[in-house]
Amino acid sequence: MKLLVPIKRVPDPATTIQVRPDGTGIVTDNIKWVINPFDEIAIEEALRIKERLGSGEVVLVTIGEKSWQEQLRTGLAMGADRAILVVNDKPLDTLAIARVLAKVVADEKPDLVIMGKQAIDDDSNQVGQMLAELLGWPQATFASKVEISDSVCTVVREVDGGLETVQFPLPAVITTDLRLNEPRYASLPGIMKARKKEIKEIPVENLGLDLAPKLKIKALKAPPKRQAGRKVSSVQELVHLLHTEAKVI
Amino acid sequence: MFGDLQERELIREFVRQLTAKYGRAYWVERAKSKGHLDEIWHELGKAGYLGVTVPEEYGGSGTSMTRLAILMEELCTQGVPLLFLVITTAMAAIPIARHGNEELKQRYLPAIADGSKKFCFAVTEPDAGSNSFNIRTFAKQEGDYYVIKGQKVFISGYDQAQHVLLVARTTPADQVKEKRHGISLLVVDTNAPGLSAHPMDTQIFAPERQFALYFDEVRVPRANLVGEEGRGFRALFDALNAERITVAAMAVGLGRFALQKAVEYAKVRKVFDKPIGAYQGLAHPMAIARTHLELASLMTHYAAHVFDAGQDAGMYANMAKYAGAEAGIEAVDIAIEVHGGSGFTGEVDVITVWPMARLLRTVPVAREMILNYVAEHVLGLPRSY
Ligand SMILES: Cc1cc2nc3c(=O)[nH]c(=O)nc-3n(C[C@H](O)[C@H](O)[C@H](O)COP(=O)(O)OP(=O)(O)OC[C@H]3O[C@@H](n4cnc5c(N)ncnc54)[C@H](O)[C@@H]3O)c2cc1C
Repeated sequence: MKLLVPIKRVPDPATTIQVRPDGTGIVTDNIKWVINPFDEIAIEEALRIKERLGSGEVVLVTIGEKSWQEQLRTGLAMGADRAILVVNDKPLDTLAIARVLAKVVADEKPDLVIMGKQAIDDDSNQVGQMLAELLGWPQATFASKVEISDSVCTVVREVDGGLETVQFPLPAVITTDLRLNEPRYASLPGIMKARKKEIKEIPVENLGLDLAPKLKIKALKAPPKRQAGRKVSSVQELVHLLHTEAKVI
Repeated sequence: MFGDLQERELIREFVRQLTAKYGRAYWVERAKSKGHLDEIWHELGKAGYLGVTVPEEYGGSGTSMTRLAILMEELCTQGVPLLFLVITTAMAAIPIARHGNEELKQRYLPAIADGSKKFCFAVTEPDAGSNSFNIRTFAKQEGDYYVIKGQKVFISGYDQAQHVLLVARTTPADQVKEKRHGISLLVVDTNAPGLSAHPMDTQIFAPERQFALYFDEVRVPRANLVGEEGRGFRALFDALNAERITVAAMAVGLGRFALQKAVEYAKVRKVFDKPIGAYQGLAHPMAIARTHLELASLMTHYAAHVFDAGQDAGMYANMAKYAGAEAGIEAVDIAIEVHGGSGFTGEVDVITVWPMARLLRTVPVAREMILNYVAEHVLGLPRSY
């Protein structure tokens, strides 16, 4: 079984994000970059599926600058077999990313695409769904459990108010939720082996796709600072203020 | 040199993930209760990091002081110094791998690599610290056994280890031409009959304790000899150079740990109207401390590189240990100063680093003995002692 895992580079969730004064993006000096945590869960799941089946190949793909190699290398150190870097330094929207991935899928012909449900930087939660649509494949988003037998896949999804179990034939697209698994550490032998694994670079221009953005980011703004609260002395006063000042009751 | 940069970053990333789970709070809790650190040790073993000094044929990833130094430095930067990385991973695995017979290698190396067995290392005696060739613990050959009598002091981690790598005399000092001759290394089980131990009153804030060991006719098979009988100094030098490099990495990491706390504090603490970090009286000492840490780190990785290339790393290992210890002390000292009175509280957790940082100037080899080494062996000056 061939598993394709698209990954994205994002700022470490522990960093404090600052918006650039002109609002065109975030300040990237001194930011530590990591694999999007949901994508890490996807890598882990792909590795587990391969281990359970006893054979297979886990291929990583990312679309970004050459330096994104670092995150691919981390995934290879976790145990993925090889990686593809679609080299691109222009802004791409979610549909463009999905188109690039669809092209990679057409070339690689994986049995399963497994990816994060969203990236923690822009939280779009769109690429997996768009990719499935472009490919005409079944999709199971927000997976919290994945089982595969004889090219039938069973996925438990986290939905509002409960769990939903879906079953579908492969090939398919799965997006991962937080509780699916706990990603492994890169072992020392894994790190040493990762050095020798292939990262194939493909310039995005070579794919011949229309990637003109349909979406434009006009400005980024930090959320307003929270105002200090006020202490009231009694329930009566609170009710009174809610009624006369806040006008909510 | 300095290892593959990407590999280095990946090892650091691993340590950050590991210490997100078993970090400073975990370590402090065990330091207070003098408890073991089995959970993190087990994780390190499972992920292959304890095989960093073990050849591949014995379940390791090939001896690399470079990788061990990166691992130690980063663990300490996160506030998690693991003494067993010094005494087992560096000081036991390397001599056994380089000088041990096949049986010893088979028996101990895979168990060191997977974390199931720990060693402590015993050389110091009441009358043999800096002057280690003065040891009197004697291993007398009787048939297929050695029978050991003597005493060791300050042996770290005896209570948590399964084995002791013991440095003993097999020929009395007055019967050898050079003092370093007649010394042998032996593996002794910590529960061997005739071996008893008492905890010592060392006041280092750490989970590991020190012990006095008494050997009263302890019998070990001759096959437990590491290297040639009477020529143990070769294996001993390998162990000591590896120890110095690992300790240097430890000191640098601890210095970074304390300094980074001070930097964060100096950015926000306002005493008059500006953050205290704006005062050059504090900013410059912090900048100097950081510079000295980086210089020491550089020397540590250079020493590791020379060691890994199979060359004599004595000079650089000694210099790295000196530089690391001094830089570590300097960094912890300014970190305390920056915090003012709260620098002395457990909550801020920098005074807690002080005993260990300060220890590393004196132990495992005192600053004076390092400088003696450099004066005599590097500069070629006459020896005074
Ligand atoms: C916390 C801790 C953990 C330890 N763990 C271990 C362990 O696991 N295994 C082990 O075997 N040992 C261990 N030791 C012992 C340690 O290695 C020794 O304490 C160290 O080597 C110094 O020896 P000493 O204590 O005998 O000091 P001494 O040798 O008595 O030295 C006293 C002072 O005299 C100075 N001095 C001596 N000779 C000279 C000279 N020629 N020129 C200038 N100055 C000189 C020294 O530098 C030092 O300042 C540990 C010690 C401590 C405190």
